[in-house]
Amino acid sequence: MAEFTASVFQNEFLSDGATDVHAIVTVTVSGAGQAGQGQGMAAGEIIIVDTSGSMTGENLGAAKHAAAVAIDQILDGTWFAVISGTDTAARAFPYPNARLPMVQMEPGARAAAKQAVASFQPSGGTAMGTWLTLARELFQATPQATQRHAILLTDGKNEHESAQALSQAIYNATGVFQCDARGVGSRWQVDELRQIATALLGTVDLIAKPADMAADFESIIKQSMGRGVASAELRVWAPQGSEVLFVRQVAPTVEDLTTRKTMVNPLTGSYPTGSWGDESRDYHVAVRVASKPVGSEQLAARVQLTVRDEVVASGLVKARWSNDDALTARIDPAVAHYTGQTELASAIQDGLAAKAAGDAATATVKLGRAVQLAAETGNDEATAKLRKVVEIDDANEGTVRLRRDVAKLDEMALDTASTKTTRVRK
Amino acid sequence: MSDAQLHGDAVDPVDPVDPVAEPVIEAVVEPDPEPDAAPAAEPVVEAAPAVPILCPACGTVNDPDAKFCEECGTQLGELVEVSSGPDASEAEAGVEPDQVTSSTSAPRRACVYCGGSIADDGYCELCGKPAQSERDHWQEAPAAWVGGVCDRGIRHEINEDAMALAADPQAGEFAVLVVCDGVSSTPGSDKASLAAARAATAHLAAGRSTDLAEGTSDELAQARWSARMLEAGERASAAIYEAIGELAARTNPPSCTFAAAVIDGPLVVVGGVGDSRVYWIADSGKSRQLTTDDSWSQEMMAHGMSRQQAESAPQAHSITRWLGADSPDEAPHVVPTYPTGAGWILVCSDGLWNYCSDADDLAELVHRVVGMVGSNPVQVSSSLVDWANEQGGQDNITAALARFDSVVPTPAQPA
Repeated sequence: MAEFTASVFQNEFLSDGATDVHAIVTVTVSGAGQAGQGQGMAAGEIIIVDTSGSMTGENLGAAKHAAAVAIDQILDGTWFAVISGTDTAARAFPYPNARLPMVQMEPGARAAAKQAVASFQPSGGTAMGTWLTLARELFQATPQATQRHAILLTDGKNEHESAQALSQAIYNATGVFQCDARGVGSRWQVDELRQIATALLGTVDLIAKPADMAADFESIIKQSMGRGVASAELRVWAPQGSEVLFVRQVAPTVEDLTTRKTMVNPLTGSYPTGSWGDESRDYHVAVRVASKPVGSEQLAARVQLTVRDEVVASGLVKARWSNDDALTARIDPAVAHYTGQTELASAIQDGLAAKAAGDAATATVKLGRAVQLAAETGNDEATAKLRKVVEIDDANEGTVRLRRDVAKLDEMALDTASTKTTRVRK
Repeated sequence: MSDAQLHGDAVDPVDPVDPVAEPVIEAVVEPDPEPDAAPAAEPVVEAAPAVPILCPACGTVNDPDAKFCEECGTQLGELVEVSSGPDASEAEAGVEPDQVTSSTSAPRRACVYCGGSIADDGYCELCGKPAQSERDHWQEAPAAWVGGVCDRGIRHEINEDAMALAADPQAGEFAVLVVCDGVSSTPGSDKASLAAARAATAHLAAGRSTDLAEGTSDELAQARWSARMLEAGERASAAIYEAIGELAARTNPPSCTFAAAVIDGPLVVVGGVGDSRVYWIADSGKSRQLTTDDSWSQEMMAHGMSRQQAESAPQAHSITRWLGADSPDEAPHVVPTYPTGAGWILVCSDGLWNYCSDADDLAELVHRVVGMVGSNPVQVSSSLVDWANEQGGQDNITAALARFDSVVPTPAQPA
């Protein structure tokens, strides 16, 4: 039986006249079990592999191997399918002539699926929107599979459909399934895959070497199969007359959830969080309430995790007005840490965008700020990746020089890792 | 409440003069938003149930006669509206018909600020304010022309103010208003003040039922009510002693102030111990403070210090007399008076008058409030409490009002 806990980190004391309440809420799930094992639950898994002409050679060979490894990780009983993607999408398994849109995993199906993957032939272009659309249709034709996940691999740019078509396909898939997106090599666009992964509650990452692909696929599917809690929602109640300024996931990655809100009732917004395994996620919630007289106390937010509309964990964010500066001046370390990490993510992304646009001055300032924030918040991984893009003169001051001849892969690695955060140092 | 008190040697409390419960007259509780959200306000002696009471909110075991949970302040037992025509036999037997009937399913409480319901986490589902216990804030309206509000204020953790009201339905005929303010340096003062207010109101209200002899002269009525007021002080003191149990043996036993007004139209008799006050708030003309504080600041003013200076001094709230086990002298100062014209009798704690001490200033405030909310005494009281909270709510706040609408015939003013 899964267990849920929510812990709140905040300084509830506000100075006279202050209105904004910030808190970090850590939600932890343990004993989640395996995907699709719950009562009336079944899991669905789709592997989407880019088989366009550009994959020819080492990439496709590695992709075939990785897909086979992934298929091995899919638990028996899980509804699954494999899609080969070019400028159109084709269902590679179940074979195109099969009646069922997806089949349940068992040893025979596993062997047949691996065979189908082994026969992939590279040809044609790249239109990821069509891949997502086919995956959505397969999932929707398989209503038994209630917990749905896909993995999408590409090596190239989305060249054979409009950006609008991709956006539309992503929009249609939102809420139907979760998707982790992976790019191999250096010719794919980080922002394209980030758009997919963000909307579909997944991750985006770079696989620098084709040889690493199999291990990555294995871990993604393992993780997906280990998510025994399907479709949890984060609910944020805020009092009448208040305003929720933002709701962000801040660990393990930064994701702004603010715009994903749907209202459950006039005071409660719901934010989808997808499926959960045994893990912990941190959320930064900011609420603006009307200032109250010194001495007053009020609840500024109830932050809850719900599964099938049942509250499984709840954290209370409070506000107490005081004129004791010793109480009100302190910024909670968790709030400070994640505020820095969030700014780090946008500084890296803004800096790389400015660099790509040829604006060296802005790029230097932004990446310098990123170096400073990474140092302050102890994000060593970000520092290491930043080092490959800039020469650091003084990390504390944030003085850097842009490196010449930076490897494209290093920039992409920095970009994809920008939203990964470190936990608060206890 | 008063921040400190000057202590004399502990004196034994006065024995209750009359151990038999007094009958109740016209005590009506007006429940705020929900019937069971209002506190018990019947000024009667209760029949103790045999078993301790388990708090439905927090599970704390409370004394059999507890009205509010010692731990969380939740009201214990259900409250039923008391009719204005009490059953004499029940009253004589000292049995409260609606006495503690432990409810098994605690109904959802209403938020006193916005009327929303209180969630299991103890905060309002609408405005997010923490649930107030009924002890923290309640109102009473025994008749349309008499009402009051007792409130914790903002800065204090608990409400050590208390009030108890009783009235005839007929405006201006008969009412009792008692406000007691627990001394904050002493734990248990909230219990002391509530017990004192209720016991005094019960005794004063009972005084009327036995003394409706026709042809009573003004002098006789004054003398009788003055004597009764002194007895009420004794009853209040005895009730404190009973309510606080072992705490009476402390060096600083629970104690409280006492301010009472009996309206036996047209006569008004006020009594006071400590620094809670009774004012006459005239609709037009001169308003007056009817009680005299037993306080350091009052003594300073008697010696010529200005009111402003005396009342803003750090020790202004040191009271020189109080009700409680260690009180050197608990006989109320009694003043009979005949208010002229239309106006209000206001009984209040220092949580209100701290922000507006002078009678004319207070009258101006009351007039302004009446102009905004009308002349329902509960609403006016509530607005006065809100106003004091807006000024900072540094202390518990109680305001109780009785409305004199028509000019009553005025006999000769007493000397």
